[in-house]
Amino acid sequence: MNMQQSGIQADDDLVFRRICALLDPLNKKGVKLTRDVDLVADLEVDSVSVLDIVMDIEDHYDISIPVNTISETMTIGQLVDAIHAIKGQQG
Amino acid sequence: MSLFAKFEKTAALYNSLSEMGKNPFTVVMEDVLGPTRATIKGRETVLAGTHNYLGQTFEPKAIAAAKKALDAEGTGTTGSRFANGTFSGHKRLEREIADFLGLGHCVVFSTGYVANLGAIAGLIDPSEDVVLVDADCHACIYDGCTLSGAETIRFRHNDPESLDKRLGRLDPKFKGKLVCIEGMYSMYGDTAPVKEFVDVAHRHGALLLVDEAHSFGVYGETGRGVCEAEGVIDKIDFYTGTFSKALAAIGGFVASNHKEAEYLRFSSRPYKFTASPSPATIASASAALANIKATPALKAKLWENANRLHAALTQYGLKLASGPAPVISVLLPTKEEAFAAWNFLLDQGVYVNMAIPPGTPGKESLLRLAVSSAHTKDDIDRLVAAYGAMAEAFPSARVAA
Ligand SMILES: Cc1ncc(COP(=O)(O)O)c(C=O)c1O
Repeated sequence: MNMQQSGIQADDDLVFRRICALLDPLNKKGVKLTRDVDLVADLEVDSVSVLDIVMDIEDHYDISIPVNTISETMTIGQLVDAIHAIKGQQG
Repeated sequence: MSLFAKFEKTAALYNSLSEMGKNPFTVVMEDVLGPTRATIKGRETVLAGTHNYLGQTFEPKAIAAAKKALDAEGTGTTGSRFANGTFSGHKRLEREIADFLGLGHCVVFSTGYVANLGAIAGLIDPSEDVVLVDADCHACIYDGCTLSGAETIRFRHNDPESLDKRLGRLDPKFKGKLVCIEGMYSMYGDTAPVKEFVDVAHRHGALLLVDEAHSFGVYGETGRGVCEAEGVIDKIDFYTGTFSKALAAIGGFVASNHKEAEYLRFSSRPYKFTASPSPATIASASAALANIKATPALKAKLWENANRLHAALTQYGLKLASGPAPVISVLLPTKEEAFAAWNFLLDQGVYVNMAIPPGTPGKESLLRLAVSSAHTKDDIDRLVAAYGAMAEAFPSARVAA
């Protein structure tokens, strides 16, 4: 993962941390939250809960994240990247 | 075999339910004894998990009409609405529904599920349109969005302000915008603030579709749904419904004052590529519609039963999802408890629906009681007694004292 370029790192970290904070109450098995963790397979967060988290993120960043961009199998890192892409377009 | 590997987890859960007790998802109604009774596992059971709101499943006029159509027109249409499957009964029923709702146009589909697929996918061009959907909308609305291929944005349940925000930040590239909500939501039995949604949608140049699957015949002065109760039935753009609940048949429809709704007959794949409802089905739906129009006492009785049940369950301290409604849901904290409570009720001779995440809006599991105007005093007494015993046995189903 080449997330070490400065600039991206700080902002990336904020989105990442925000998502982790939202996921924390759902992380019943205490899985360590990294970019590679799969929301459904590893955290066993159901697909509707993922969409609810997405809605919290939308309201926090004032962006709209189409349901279509959220796939059934998605890692935390992929979600972070999707949000960055949309923030770039809409923000 | 990798094709099947993905099912393993769900299959294990599904099978473990059957080992722990009776599985809500494999219930068979062995003998149907009437609108509110059937035998399940050899035992006579009160049905309170069917959506027979107005008790029309055994309405003699509907049965007579269905038999007559069966004799006169045969068992099936053997074709789609678009091709050889449109009989005069389909056209007549479209007129009857449009007239009942006071809307100009109606298109009949094969089920309510198919009607919503057909409306959304038939109206939307994914290259230029966008759909906004209430977070708690039924699977068929989401599936309609998927079938349309369009960008789909979810807004917070029953929250016009959340919709307002999302419409406000839409890319101006979108030409058409469709907002989808329901009248009464069948998980919690709560209703949409349709009037506010009309205002928000139209202010942003979006059209509003309201699925009244559970509220048709049940809400509003004359049973035209939550849109009528909210005084905006002539303001909404598309009204979708089903024959499978208040009308106790199978089929669905899209009604509208927009004459362009007729275009669905060629733009909508779910209209063109599946067989139309059989003549007997259409005849019974039509007779049930005439009957519920002529008999306002049915709706009154439904609400009397709903109010009585809601009051009794409230008195037991059960944690209810909403105020009195034709669906009364008890909230339970976990799947396991919901499953045990559902089995407990079945052992008391009462069948309700169990709903567990992700099929539910929140994190809770639900026991959903669907009320019918056909529930007799004896049925209601049995339901009340069974829920009373459940409230004793399952403290987690009660509001903390
Ligand atoms: C909101 C909603 N829309 C549509 C449907 C589908 O109706 P039908 O049973 O006619 O396919 C249902 C029923 O399950 C529903 O709850």
